[in-house]
Amino acid sequence: MNLGRVRAIAARKFASLKRDHRTFAFIIIMPAIQILLFGIAIGQPPVGLGVALIGNEATDIDDDLMIKLGASESLIIHDEYTSAEEARSAIGEGELWAAIVVSDNGVIEVHLDNSNQQVSSTIMVEVRNALTEIMEEKGITPPVEIADPVYGDKEPAFINFLAPGIITLVCFMFSLILTTMSFVGERYDGTLDRVFAAGTQPSEVLIGHMIAFTSILIGQVSTVILIAVYGFDIPLNGNPLMVFVLAMLLGWSAMCIGMFISTKATSEFQAIQLNMPFMFLVLLISGILWPVEALPGWLQPISWSLPTTWTAEAFRSIMIRGWGFEQTVVAGAFVYNIVFAAIMLMVAAKSLKTQD
Amino acid sequence: MPMAIRVEGLVRGYGRGKKRIEVLQDYSMRVERGEIYGLLGPSGCGKTTMLKVILGRLRPEAGSVAVLGAEVGTTECTVPGSAVGYSPQEIALYEDLTIAETLLFHGRLQQMLPQQIAERQEWLIEFLDLPPAGRQVGKLSGGQKRRTSLAVALLHQPELLLLDEPTVGVDPELRYRIWQHLREIADAGTTVIITTHYIDEASQADCVGLMRDGVLLAEGRPQELMVQYGHTSLEETFLHLCRRSNVKEVE
Repeated sequence: MNLGRVRAIAARKFASLKRDHRTFAFIIIMPAIQILLFGIAIGQPPVGLGVALIGNEATDIDDDLMIKLGASESLIIHDEYTSAEEARSAIGEGELWAAIVVSDNGVIEVHLDNSNQQVSSTIMVEVRNALTEIMEEKGITPPVEIADPVYGDKEPAFINFLAPGIITLVCFMFSLILTTMSFVGERYDGTLDRVFAAGTQPSEVLIGHMIAFTSILIGQVSTVILIAVYGFDIPLNGNPLMVFVLAMLLGWSAMCIGMFISTKATSEFQAIQLNMPFMFLVLLISGILWPVEALPGWLQPISWSLPTTWTAEAFRSIMIRGWGFEQTVVAGAFVYNIVFAAIMLMVAAKSLKTQD
Repeated sequence: MPMAIRVEGLVRGYGRGKKRIEVLQDYSMRVERGEIYGLLGPSGCGKTTMLKVILGRLRPEAGSVAVLGAEVGTTECTVPGSAVGYSPQEIALYEDLTIAETLLFHGRLQQMLPQQIAERQEWLIEFLDLPPAGRQVGKLSGGQKRRTSLAVALLHQPELLLLDEPTVGVDPELRYRIWQHLREIADAGTTVIITTHYIDEASQADCVGLMRDGVLLAEGRPQELMVQYGHTSLEETFLHLCRRSNVKEVE
């Protein structure tokens, strides 16, 4: 490894990146926009859900329920319905999301348009909260009580599960997009032949590129983490520096995959297509949208071979649980990313060496 | 005179089985040190593949290739490295860099000192009639790019120069100066292999080779070749050789 040559390649690549203003802006602004949109659009409770409340004169529950549910921002309570049948047909017409019916014996029936799980669960949480409050006011102890959780909030927010995963996804994706076209052109326009004629090793070319790309990665990772944590109040109970370093390591893993694709693709169009399988694997089986524990057994090893699975788990542990290196989940993610990046780099170097 | 390049029975193709394409078949060639070797041949005849084998970028499948006294691919071989200057057929420059940045990048790859790079830059810009060093390569004309590409190959004053069609789109006056310079450095001991389409240009070389479909049809001093085949010009000689090889193929 000749450091002079690595430096020359890094400096040259950096000059090129800096001069391409459009790509430079895209690669810094896009992750920021993505994380902003995520924070704005995902995880907030839905508002203005129409719900009918049908009381029963035999009980006094409906007035209390009316007051409690009426105070909720998520629900708009309609009291003009007189029977469960009438309300159900309104649900059938799409005019209401649910009907709450108090029966003669004080049992509360909930009739739902259950086509949207998030909407139903919002309504059910509101109903449950209202009933719990009413019972407490009447001095009745509820049969189940949730104690203070060891980690996380009493009301687990979906966004808190999702945020570390989305940070993982965004850091991975943009590092991949950034690097995936690095040498597609250079392999065919003769510039790389010239670099090799000077006695440069493939690993020197790759590491030189990594150094140049890292300057952009620092910007991407910092923007994403700062917006997520300080812009949207996503909990960060652990060490922020650990989150930053792990995001950088993940970025390097993605970079090495990107450079590998770049050594194989025969056109820039093909390089973008070759990104797709990685993006989908990461999105669907890395525990970003849904827990890894829910995957079938045969898919688990594939999931854990992706650096994103380790990183998303570790981000959750650091950010929500406040864990540090003493926990295997966290330490494992750091080690796995380093090992993954190193192996991928060697594979890419080998692929860059053999031209045919 | 020791050999700069000795290629014997070189076989090289791409792919395997039915998809196999033979490029070089039993290719042999000898280049002496300190001579200008003009390699003539149409596009697709295997010139670039042959240069890539010499550069150690492609491994020979059979045969032996020695460059500057050592087999390619061995640790003793100084090519690839600073012993060679290579100017690919494509312009092969980074369009977004300036001329100065281009030369600085290649100078650094060759482990040159900043002082040396600056001195060579000044000389090359003057000699090759290049625009100011701050000009971006992407904004140069075709001929200016071609000359910048040549400047990169000449930058570190290598022992062996491989120039793949360096004079395409260069005006005759400058082409004359380039040849004059190649002659000077060859006299000082540099070996130059230059591929070209122009037969009159090749006749200025010390030795010419005619390449066709992956084989060298003839190799020798221009004068001797003409005498050998009884023609008064190199053009006629090569026409004769091409016809003869067509006849052989038919048989």
